[in-house]
Amino acid sequence: MSPPSRLEGEYRSAQGRFLFVWGMPLLLAALSIFGLLAALLGTGVWHWASWIALAWLLVVIARYWIRPRER
Amino acid sequence: MTAAAKIKTWYLVHKWTSLVSTLFLLVICITGLPLVFHHEIEDLLSDGKPVAELPAGTPNAPLDRLVAKAQALYPTEFVDYVYLDDDEPQAYVGMVPKLGDGINSGHAVRLDARTAEVLEDGPTYASDRFSFMGIMLALHTDLYAGLAGELFLGLMGLLFVVAIVSGVVLYGPFMKKLEFGTVRASRSTRVKWLDLHNLLGIVTLVWAFVVGFTGAINELSTPLFRLWQSSEMPALLAPYQGKPIPTELASPQLAMENALAAVPGRELTSMSYPGNAYGSPHHFVAWLRGDTPLTSQLHTPVLIDAVTGQVAKVAQMPWYLTALEVSRPLHFGDYAGMPLQILWALLDLATIVVLGSGLYLWIARRRANDARIAELVRRHQAAGEPQRSPA
Repeated sequence: MSPPSRLEGEYRSAQGRFLFVWGMPLLLAALSIFGLLAALLGTGVWHWASWIALAWLLVVIARYWIRPRER
Repeated sequence: MTAAAKIKTWYLVHKWTSLVSTLFLLVICITGLPLVFHHEIEDLLSDGKPVAELPAGTPNAPLDRLVAKAQALYPTEFVDYVYLDDDEPQAYVGMVPKLGDGINSGHAVRLDARTAEVLEDGPTYASDRFSFMGIMLALHTDLYAGLAGELFLGLMGLLFVVAIVSGVVLYGPFMKKLEFGTVRASRSTRVKWLDLHNLLGIVTLVWAFVVGFTGAINELSTPLFRLWQSSEMPALLAPYQGKPIPTELASPQLAMENALAAVPGRELTSMSYPGNAYGSPHHFVAWLRGDTPLTSQLHTPVLIDAVTGQVAKVAQMPWYLTALEVSRPLHFGDYAGMPLQILWALLDLATIVVLGSGLYLWIARRRANDARIAELVRRHQAAGEPQRSPA
């Protein structure tokens, strides 16, 4: 048996339920916006920041695709 | 509207905007892959010479010399524009057999910007439309249908944006009980691809939205330029009424120097000659860019009397052309070197997976999908709680 799930959504507060669904998407959206703008507004180290921020999106995809998190 | 009805409505929006646009978007995404690297591929496929190995900082030849070299190849033709490449020290001199006919019969001569040596005598744009990269570009931007094709694909881009927004709205109820990144790989193939569709869709959300939206804006470039010309030009052209497009022109180098003096701290990207489709019949238009990362994308057009070489007006870019110029790098992904181009290509591939899996989900198991929605609706009705709108 799996340990008690952390995701008993219904029993959490409204804020908890919101963050459970939208926390990670909001974080990734912020990272994307930063990545798109950093390279447009800066040079040098900002280009590196941009590459890392956007590459992170691909790391997230690879992480969950290759080793699925089962329910 | 009840929460259940809202989900149903958003699901229909997502389904239909996706269905209408998916095939075109797959073509756009696939042709976009080589287009991200168009500079590199064109260099590879080009049978012209590369630029000379000269010490950095070697000054450019005067524009007059570059233009004269191209003119010598085509003595009976007219110069349409001069474009200075900002990646490599080379210049393109556009030529036309007939004034004002650049789009149909134009072609360009590529020269080393410092030595003025001719590197490549390019094909006409019309015949280049059927080269490999020409085909990619046509399938990506206008389907060989000119303005109508541009507007049509722009509309497909907007449908894509609506599909993204509606997809995000549906993500909420779908993921209510699933932890982020859940991929139920041991369940049916359909469930696994539904989860992957949701995962890749939500992760690439902002990138896909920005590239889709800026792509739609880019498709409006022809009418936006026409709008600008029709609002900016009439007053400037009034004194020239009835006169033909001049052919005895001032020195282009002088025109450029006068333009640079009028707006200090700028560099020349390109200069349209009288009669150019994006210029004026009686002026050189010097398109000057700034020197910071952002302002290097934004241009100030300076109009110079084509006969006297004197500055006629430093034009203001209206907000819609500024929006167009900002949306170019954000669509092309060409503003931070090769790593960004590679990231663009990989995120494009992820989008192809989202589109393909979306299509699969609809074709393979339409019924199962509808049942899932019915189940969500039923659950909401049973719970009887107001659903917070995530949008």
